[in-house]
Amino acid sequence: MKFLMLIFKNLRRNMVRSLLTSAGIMVLVFVITLIWSILGFLDMATSEKAANFKGIVTEKWSIPSQLPFSYASTLENGAAREESDVKPMDSMTWQFFIGSVDKTNIGFSTFIFAFCMEPSKLLTMMDELDSLQPGPRATLDKAIKAMEGNRQGIIVGQKRLAAIEKKVGDKIKVFGINYRDIELECEIVGTFPPGRYDNNTCINRDYLNASLDAFKAAKGRPHPLAEKTLNLVWVKVPTKDSFSKMSTQIDNSPMFAAPPVKIETASSGVSNFLAAYKDLLMILRYLLAPAIIITLTVVISNAISISVRERRKEMAVLKVIGFQPNQIIFLVLGEAILLGVVAGAISSIGTYYFVNRVIGGIPFQIAFFSSFPVLDGALWWGAAIGFITSFAGSILPALSTRSIKVVDVFSKVA
Amino acid sequence: MVDSIRQQRSESQLLNRFLGGLLAMLKVIGIILLFLSVTALVIFLFLYFVTLDNAWMLIPGSFAFFGLMMLIVYFAKIPIGYNLRNLVVRYRTTLLTSVAFILVTGVLTGLMGFINGLKRLAQATGNPSNVIVLSQGSTEEGISNLAFENMGDIAQQEGVKRKNDEPLCSRESYLVLSLPIAEPVPGSPTRRLLQVRGLFDPVASAEVHDFGLVPGGEWFSDAGVRPSVDPNKAPLVEVVLGQGIAKQLAGDRSKADKEKARNKEQLEVGDTIPLDTRELVVTGIMKTEGTTFDSEVWAKQSVIGPLLGKTNFTTLVLRATGPEQAQKLEDFFMGKDKDFKYEKTQVNAFTETNYYKSQSQTSIQLLVGTILVATVMGFGGVMGVMNTMFAAISQRVKDIGMLRLLGFSRWRILVSFLTESLLIALLGGLIGCLLGYMCNGIQATSIIGGGAGPGGKAVVFRVVVDWGVLGIGLTLSMLMGFVGGLIPAMSAMRFKPLESLRG
Repeated sequence: MKFLMLIFKNLRRNMVRSLLTSAGIMVLVFVITLIWSILGFLDMATSEKAANFKGIVTEKWSIPSQLPFSYASTLENGAAREESDVKPMDSMTWQFFIGSVDKTNIGFSTFIFAFCMEPSKLLTMMDELDSLQPGPRATLDKAIKAMEGNRQGIIVGQKRLAAIEKKVGDKIKVFGINYRDIELECEIVGTFPPGRYDNNTCINRDYLNASLDAFKAAKGRPHPLAEKTLNLVWVKVPTKDSFSKMSTQIDNSPMFAAPPVKIETASSGVSNFLAAYKDLLMILRYLLAPAIIITLTVVISNAISISVRERRKEMAVLKVIGFQPNQIIFLVLGEAILLGVVAGAISSIGTYYFVNRVIGGIPFQIAFFSSFPVLDGALWWGAAIGFITSFAGSILPALSTRSIKVVDVFSKVA
Repeated sequence: MVDSIRQQRSESQLLNRFLGGLLAMLKVIGIILLFLSVTALVIFLFLYFVTLDNAWMLIPGSFAFFGLMMLIVYFAKIPIGYNLRNLVVRYRTTLLTSVAFILVTGVLTGLMGFINGLKRLAQATGNPSNVIVLSQGSTEEGISNLAFENMGDIAQQEGVKRKNDEPLCSRESYLVLSLPIAEPVPGSPTRRLLQVRGLFDPVASAEVHDFGLVPGGEWFSDAGVRPSVDPNKAPLVEVVLGQGIAKQLAGDRSKADKEKARNKEQLEVGDTIPLDTRELVVTGIMKTEGTTFDSEVWAKQSVIGPLLGKTNFTTLVLRATGPEQAQKLEDFFMGKDKDFKYEKTQVNAFTETNYYKSQSQTSIQLLVGTILVATVMGFGGVMGVMNTMFAAISQRVKDIGMLRLLGFSRWRILVSFLTESLLIALLGGLIGCLLGYMCNGIQATSIIGGGAGPGGKAVVFRVVVDWGVLGIGLTLSMLMGFVGGLIPAMSAMRFKPLESLRG
């Protein structure tokens, strides 16, 4: 305990240096926390799950996938034809509607990117929404019920709602960009919980399909995209084995000849989509994060080296009064580690709460991810980074204290 | 006699006062100039950070700033030798502090080079005389859907260049193909997203886009297919490739195919790419390096479109008679002039250079991220140099007292320690820039896009660490040194000589 008090007192003695080093550690740990959170989130999105597999069925060759809506019912059933065939535990269809709330001024403040789907699937199939806490779940459920009662009802992400300067209860007209000449008159019935879906919108698929039918009735010809409205089908299966069986069912089905389809795990699909970002992610993972850690180590090492050099007399006195060389080494290491662990922990825990609770995620668009949460791991990352970098940075200066010779120090004083 | 002596004294006092006043004024001007130049550097750094245009000016700016410091050092007789010796004597601290500068500057220049390459690519693509026409509301080709019946009329508008009495234009269908990789490395993507451009007439398209083929190749035929050597196989689909994607696709081949390949680094004329039951055969490699077309595969629209389920056209590129006419056509199609606008249908039109500039949105997002990272890392570096300088000052309190007794004024002490910190920054900055420069020319892949929401084009490009990027790195390093050194130097100038000597 006395040893710990001595460490505290030593740190307090040169407050300027302790504060400067802590500030350096904090800002650098802040950046590492952000980088690791983005990388960790993408790693999770691209790693295979052991159970409750989600598969994505898309057009085999083309991106964006554009399938006829007639594929939906068969694919939602996993292309099962026999009793013994595997059927999905759950499924959902996605039709993308890209539009603008202003026909002439199309930009960030008017843009709408919507998933047209069955509203009830939001709570059972959508990542993160399927595991909401009871409070936000009840709020979203209420909005879903409103969408089911009124097929023109839409749910808009909170940032998108702010961008288009609307509020829940307002009515908007969305002019189609990918669906030319389709205009959807919608009523905003709710918002998504803050986070991943901040910039997305959900429209009832029945409303889009009815609008396409209305187009045909009015113009006397089908919409040019009428046979290409189904973009994705999601299926949930219990195990990898059942996923393989369903994959065979879909591949062998005669239903999907033109255009052909493919099924892949959600992780594989996301991974392929992120392939173009490979170099950027490599820079973050293998260049930026290590460079920050080395900078951190150098900053700590520098501070501790200076501290050791300044306190040679003091250490000589400690030796005279009976401190063993190893105890002095632990004293120096202890100072560095205490500083590193405390500053690192404050930074990463602070980042966790600030980013997740105040700004609702790290705003950085990569593919279809527009915002990243700071992962729970951040609660210990800071302390761990602080410990490792301060240990690495202070071990050499600490070991150098062994070479302090009492006679040399005091002969100079004399 | 006495009067004469008095008069001489009085004149001499006046002269001394005048010279003293002049010196004081020069000191003030010097300090003001120093801080003005730092402020200017910060403003320029911010502006150039945002635009990356003419950022090379930061290099002479940084050296001019350092030169100004040296002038002050020279004329104010600052004991620079004393500072240099201290840096050498405390070489370990100097080196450790420099390492922080090296890392921050090196990483920053590498990252900026990546963004610069991406931005250059978008800017270098496109001809100012070309106009890209997309369907109404579309800002990207991927979601454009042009009505076939309108394309002929759009191409016939006044201002479009004509050749053999036909409008010079390129009818294109842009689509993305999800191609399986033969032997994917475990844990890495299993498919490559390949950008395919289906063309109505490749020769006209090449003329509109201003590039040709590498010698030895030819454009695909009117049929767009050629018979396979194996009569039981479907005809081969003829394609031409950008140079960048030809290299990438060469890496995607199976090990056995790579061993058999004539050129292991790049696909060549005659090489094939499997596509389900069909095969694509390379008939030519396009000279497209430095443009977004470098990542594309071109094929006959009437063949590749139906094969991949995209029968409509996404893009119409018109060659206007000149850049001014291209701008007029953009205004005409976009309805910017109420009295003179295209009324048959509504489309989105952009001059090609404007269109590709707008595709730099992704690099702007990356730039903002880099500025944040650079600022935070820079702050870490500032903390490091501040620590070093505070320590250096606390170890040299008596030296400072002695300098003050020898007649060195407070501001000279300030400049002396500030110079010391700037020298460390200059050393670290130069080595960091050198490290960053090693990234120059490395081939990389990324996405460019301009619309809100997901999307964009996967592109192959080269990292460009040019004078501008080096200027940004060096300026940031110098500013870190200035900010990190200023507060300790100010504390040093406040020491009282006798108290300092007492310790």
